[in-house]
Amino acid sequence: MGTIGQITTKVTAAVCAGAVLLTLGLAHAAGKTYTVATDATWPPMEMVNANKQIVGLDIDYLTAVAKEAGFAVTFKNTAWDGIFAGLEAGQYDIIASSVTITEERRKKYDFSAPYIDIGQILVVPKAETAATLAAMKGKKVGAQIGTTGAFEIKKVEGVEPKSYDEIGLAFEDMAAGRIAGVVCDEPVAVQFALQKAEYKEKFKIVGSPFTTEAYGFVVRKGDAALLDLLNKGIAAVKAKRLDEQLRATWLR
Amino acid sequence: MSEPRPAALVEVGDGAAIPVRSDRGLFTAWRIAFFGAFAALAGLALLKPDPYRAILKFVPDGIVVTFEVTLGAIALALLIGLVAGLGRIAENRLVSGAAALYVEVIRGIPLLVQIFYIYYALGRFVKVPPLASAIIAMAVCYGAYIGEVVRAGIQSIPKGQTEAALALGMSRAQAMRHVILPPIGNEFIALLKDSSLVSIIAVADLLRRGREFASESFAYFETYTVIALVYLVITLFFSKLIGLLEERLHAGR
Repeated sequence: MGTIGQITTKVTAAVCAGAVLLTLGLAHAAGKTYTVATDATWPPMEMVNANKQIVGLDIDYLTAVAKEAGFAVTFKNTAWDGIFAGLEAGQYDIIASSVTITEERRKKYDFSAPYIDIGQILVVPKAETAATLAAMKGKKVGAQIGTTGAFEIKKVEGVEPKSYDEIGLAFEDMAAGRIAGVVCDEPVAVQFALQKAEYKEKFKIVGSPFTTEAYGFVVRKGDAALLDLLNKGIAAVKAKRLDEQLRATWLR
Repeated sequence: MSEPRPAALVEVGDGAAIPVRSDRGLFTAWRIAFFGAFAALAGLALLKPDPYRAILKFVPDGIVVTFEVTLGAIALALLIGLVAGLGRIAENRLVSGAAALYVEVIRGIPLLVQIFYIYYALGRFVKVPPLASAIIAMAVCYGAYIGEVVRAGIQSIPKGQTEAALALGMSRAQAMRHVILPPIGNEFIALLKDSSLVSIIAVADLLRRGREFASESFAYFETYTVIALVYLVITLFFSKLIGLLEERLHAGR
């Protein structure tokens, strides 16, 4: 929007340009199609199905939000490691990828109102006796790089953290016996440990979630118009109890 | 350089160019790049301690792992390469066929895929620790390329030249050294750089440490600037070292 500065010869010209920008701004706010980044390796929140479509609870949720608020979305599968950098670089406008709202992330990006509550949980091989993450001292515990699960592991002294590009690679490494545990969001843990045929004989979930976290949709710092749209949409989805339907569809 | 050279040099294009004193342009560029990168790292740490000092504190164990992977892999790759190279020119057709097959197959598969394959695909059957997997994957891949360097080196010395070298009092092995060593040096530098690919199998090398730092701090620009500069310093240091080694070898004649 640097063009305004160049129109300095006539006040009228500036007013005209202002009017055009205002119109563009309004067009920006409603009816527009926004590109959304999601790391579709996080079932059942976001994943690629057999038809190569991006599906999941997050996908359905944001689509419902967009419908309520009157805008459109297209999803773009993006690696988690670097998903925030891409938002900053303007490659997309929204991240809908099970992003926990944290203080550190809030400093750099703007979050929508929380749209779902979730917690971190530990998955281990069936033979493991540890009842908490703290009891895993001296062992290797894996998580996806840059996730709250990875941060939780680092908080526990004596546990050796291992970071993976995708959570599926962490589970596969545990199946191969190279690591002793995996920490991730509860719905993802349920998907891998209880529903995948090749894993459900091998893994178990330890206790209940040990953190309380809220997911939010992420936009660039200061993108107030889009944030407003998202929040309106989330409020409408919650008011219509569409979120409960989505939970019933995608979560156990 | 007026003394007769044992043979035509084997030209290899990948890897960092190794600075030779006779090539003024490259030599100056090396100095500017090496000391420039060093100065940039020091300057950033001093002038903008947040976050540069934190990054520099976070990555050193990653540098150690990068060295472990590189040195382990090059040692193993030289061994594999020597066997493959000699195998390629062996009289026995079974041996030469097997060596050729190995070279063709490995050179036809991207290194990234090979690393995934050894760690995750073969991981279903054999449990190899991450660091060992990384070293094996890199060595198996580079062994094929080094094998070709060895073969080309041996074949590039015509019989007459070998006789000439021998007449000059040079052993066949000595003659070979002059031919093979420069491309091997290039392979080493290329391997060092490619070792960054092992960060995909949860080996905490230099790049992975950088990615971990960036993913937590969101300081993408700062982190990857440091990572790039550190790699640059390391590769330039080694290319210089290899250059000096070659010079000593030539001076020894």
